[in-house]
Amino acid sequence: MKKIYSFSIALILSISLMAQEANQVFKAAGTPVNPKVQASWNRYYDHAGITALCKKIAAAYPDLAKLTSLGKSYAGRDLWCLTITDFKKGNELQKPGMYIDGNIHSNEIQGAEFALYTAWYLTESFGDTKFIQELLTDKVFYIVPSINPDGRDSYMHQPNTASSPRSGVKPVDNDGDGLVNEDWYDDLDGDGHITMMRRKNINGRYKLDPRDSRNMVMVGADEQGDYELLGMEGIDNDGDGRVNEDGYAFEYDPNRDWGWGWQPNYIQNGAYKYPFSIPENRAVMEFVMKHPNIAAAQSYHNAGGMILRGPGASADVTTYNSQDVAIYDAIAKKGEELMPGYKYLVVYKDLYSAYGGELDWFYAGRGIYTYSNELWTPYLMFMKESTRSPFDNSSYNFDKYLLFKDGFVDWKEYDHPQYGKVEIGGFKKNFGRAHPGFLLESDAHRNMAFSIYHSYHTPKLSISEIKEKDLGDGLTEVTAVIANERLMPTHSSQDVKNKIERPDYITLNTTAKIVAGMIMTDKDLNLSKIQKNNPSTIEVNNIPGLGTVTVKWIVEGKGKYTVNVDSKKGGIATNIK
Amino acid sequence: MKKLFLMACFLPLIGQIKAQQYPTLQEQQNRLTLLVKNNPKWVSIQSLAKTSGGKDIWVVTLGTGKPETKPAIAVIGGVEGTHLLGTELVIQFAEKLLKQIDKDSVQKLLSENTYYLFPNMSPDAMETYFSKLAFERLGNANNTDDDRDGKTNEDTFDDLDGNGKITMMRIESPVGIYKLHPDDPRVLIKADISKGEKGKYLLLSEGIDNDKDGQFNEDGVGGIHFNKNLTYKHKTFSAGAGEFPVSEIETRALLDFLYDAFNVYAVVSFSSLNNLSANDDKITTVVSELYNKTMGAKDAPKPTAEGGDFMSWAYQHYGRFSFSTPGWWVPKAKPDTAKKEKAFTVVDATANYLRWSAQQGLNHFTEWKTVQHPDFPNQVVQVGGVDPYVMINPPYKMVDSIASKHTMFLTKLVSLKPQVVIQKIETQKLSNGLTKITIDVSNAGMLPTHSKFADRNYFVKRLKVALQLNDKQQLIGGKKLELLNNMEPHTMQQFSWIVKGTGSVTVETGSPAIGLTTKAISLQ
Repeated sequence: MKKIYSFSIALILSISLMAQEANQVFKAAGTPVNPKVQASWNRYYDHAGITALCKKIAAAYPDLAKLTSLGKSYAGRDLWCLTITDFKKGNELQKPGMYIDGNIHSNEIQGAEFALYTAWYLTESFGDTKFIQELLTDKVFYIVPSINPDGRDSYMHQPNTASSPRSGVKPVDNDGDGLVNEDWYDDLDGDGHITMMRRKNINGRYKLDPRDSRNMVMVGADEQGDYELLGMEGIDNDGDGRVNEDGYAFEYDPNRDWGWGWQPNYIQNGAYKYPFSIPENRAVMEFVMKHPNIAAAQSYHNAGGMILRGPGASADVTTYNSQDVAIYDAIAKKGEELMPGYKYLVVYKDLYSAYGGELDWFYAGRGIYTYSNELWTPYLMFMKESTRSPFDNSSYNFDKYLLFKDGFVDWKEYDHPQYGKVEIGGFKKNFGRAHPGFLLESDAHRNMAFSIYHSYHTPKLSISEIKEKDLGDGLTEVTAVIANERLMPTHSSQDVKNKIERPDYITLNTTAKIVAGMIMTDKDLNLSKIQKNNPSTIEVNNIPGLGTVTVKWIVEGKGKYTVNVDSKKGGIATNIK
Repeated sequence: MKKLFLMACFLPLIGQIKAQQYPTLQEQQNRLTLLVKNNPKWVSIQSLAKTSGGKDIWVVTLGTGKPETKPAIAVIGGVEGTHLLGTELVIQFAEKLLKQIDKDSVQKLLSENTYYLFPNMSPDAMETYFSKLAFERLGNANNTDDDRDGKTNEDTFDDLDGNGKITMMRIESPVGIYKLHPDDPRVLIKADISKGEKGKYLLLSEGIDNDKDGQFNEDGVGGIHFNKNLTYKHKTFSAGAGEFPVSEIETRALLDFLYDAFNVYAVVSFSSLNNLSANDDKITTVVSELYNKTMGAKDAPKPTAEGGDFMSWAYQHYGRFSFSTPGWWVPKAKPDTAKKEKAFTVVDATANYLRWSAQQGLNHFTEWKTVQHPDFPNQVVQVGGVDPYVMINPPYKMVDSIASKHTMFLTKLVSLKPQVVIQKIETQKLSNGLTKITIDVSNAGMLPTHSKFADRNYFVKRLKVALQLNDKQQLIGGKKLELLNNMEPHTMQQFSWIVKGTGSVTVETGSPAIGLTTKAISLQ
């Protein structure tokens, strides 16, 4: 106990030492001017780095941020979750929740920084930004920077390409030969990056790109080439005649492991044993099941500049019905405005078909409106359309003129045990999918703004009207109108259809006797549906977004009363009369 | 309080009566422990997990040496919590086999093969058989909101006639769709409206609409059913299935074990599903023939799988041969001419059961008796019907002979397994120090080496044909490692290599599920 105490003192001391003197700085609009937690958003953090930042934020803002671990990863790393809300106002579990995670794929790292930036920004801006104060009164954010910390560290600390590893580190015998991870990439030149191997060959189909000699382009159909490409840096370690065929880069896909529409690996490549058979995903699932207040969710991937919604597979086209799609559309269209270069797309038809994805479980399995953003787009290089293709020269130009060739390993000769004299070179693992430093903070901010808009439109309930009418004989009719001031309903259509979450409860608390309770199907024409039992608490399936629900009670005798609304995803509202 | 105390006094007595029927969970466990104690060389047991009800999920390994290196059959009981027979068949298989462990044939069987036995996948549910209020429970001890109204277990069965069992209730009603069976008025059957028939009764399970929602007994104790909780065609959100597949501790415990057991090639489970006596799959007809010959039983029911079931999972997703049988079903009862019975004019399972059980001298029927029912104040409500469990499980005294036949089937099943052998080896000297090796590999078993869905499944190992050389030998022609997706029974494939060097090389063939064999070949 004493140790923890002295630790936090040291922490506070070090925080105050790090902050800039207030008179030395001038506020840039929309950014915390003198943050308590000093953090650079132009670089990446490994798991230890993320852990340190999470702890600093929680220590600096105990009334706004709480740090918990959702559980341990396969290799025993904590899955940190920052709960961000105004803890002084209301109960966290009675506020609509916005869940954000990143890094489900090991190499798709910047999601963690984007998520963490959100936690940092919300806490640091709370003091002087009225909008954030109101937001944190109404809502709660659950921010899990990395739901795959083992994979994150293996990407950063092991030799890799920009695309490896995709999976976590639980070993799998991918080629079914009974051996595990026996033939993986080899960092032949020892620079921590797995790049390409090429060999001079007059029968090859490649030549040097005249626009930038670092690039290889295919020769014309009637042209002779100078080089052949031999694939990624590696050797045939197990002597089975194949190179790099069983490594840890693709053991399984953590994003094919979720409990909706799950299919085994011979149908859905990358699926593991059964839904949530990956321990990290299991921890997230358990957290979500215990937090029915989560109404919206965001998961961060890379790359391509996309705001994705489900369905992941065409089998679920009707699962995403038109009412829910309208809400998805409205929020994502705003996202396209906030994040230039990002396009709103649907996974199964615009990308590829995938079963058992996270976003489908969140939506179809739990009724939560969820997007996956594919972070970083080549558009951001020159603020115009371009591609990641090696045959598009813009990557080389961007590296040359804006990164001063820091994104590329120059071709160098190497004596390969199987291929003989080859050359090794190519883009580094931190180029192409991860943001370059100077663009990281700006895109993190835009994506955060999208999540804030998303969370803002989770339900906000209020009791907009209470009317009494004397019916004579000591009877009173009490009519209450419950309003939802935001876009999202308290239950998505998928939720209503499958009764995922319990109904919303509208309760009349009074000392008088309540003889009947009903939902008004048409208030003006006096049409109603009478509730069978327990008239004091009326159960409604849903309170629509930007809409109202009207209920009516018949009360015998006089008394004070209050009307309460209690919704799992919509929060609570009370009106005292 | 006083009433409870009285009940408690009677409990041990009730327990005793039940013990004469099927053994309790504690007795099941004691028998497993005894097996290990008496046969430590051949049996081991391990608790894989504890269910939400605190019950152990046992795996019993029959085998010796390194059981994980030998071709294995997994045998699963308690797939449905009402199926006490299945659990008995699994435990008695072990008991009956080990009783003969002094025989050379049994020692050979357990030296060359492994059996993984999972006697009871539904211990939480099965306990209800022994409880003071018996009803056919399938769900585990998790509290679930079966009707998804936001409340859990708010409308459970009620023992209206106080006989300690949940049977049925019939209510005379103008909207009733049931009528009396023409040949046995104790039985209710659906009126055929298309033929102008009129119903007289509503037929519901015994109970009160406790939560007054218009439905009866729709959300009682009992959570997730093991046999609805698997991944193949899981019915997410439906009662007993779970919020997603494999949500339960016991389901995960079994799957985690099996996915790591690469030596398993076949799974035999005891459940209401039946593809053993009635089998549409030509590849495994040979197994069904063996089963039907061993059992000598007819008229097997063939219910349709309803999604999330274990039998389908083992085949479709686990990628192994999967067989299921109820192990016993109510035989078709012949009319008793002495009693002037005639063949039924309407075929009905309950009517057939009553006729059969009478012939066996059994009486498991509670006569319809009028009760006062709060939900039907001005209607005639009667409670009665066939006891729970008796149509699914035979009288305990019959179990011994059923278990003997299943023991025979399970021991004979290994003779059908795929067997990869090197039939012929030819070596030819091409030049000095250069040898061409040709081998013929065949599957001499009765089943393919891989089932239909084993293809491309990470959790099934390929059939390997591998050449192993020493440092001084060199492979000049051919592939060092061949991985085959499948080899049909009675087929052969040829492999050849050219090797430079002297001495001998080794060829390894097989897979964990088939067994791995190595053979040394001398170079010319």
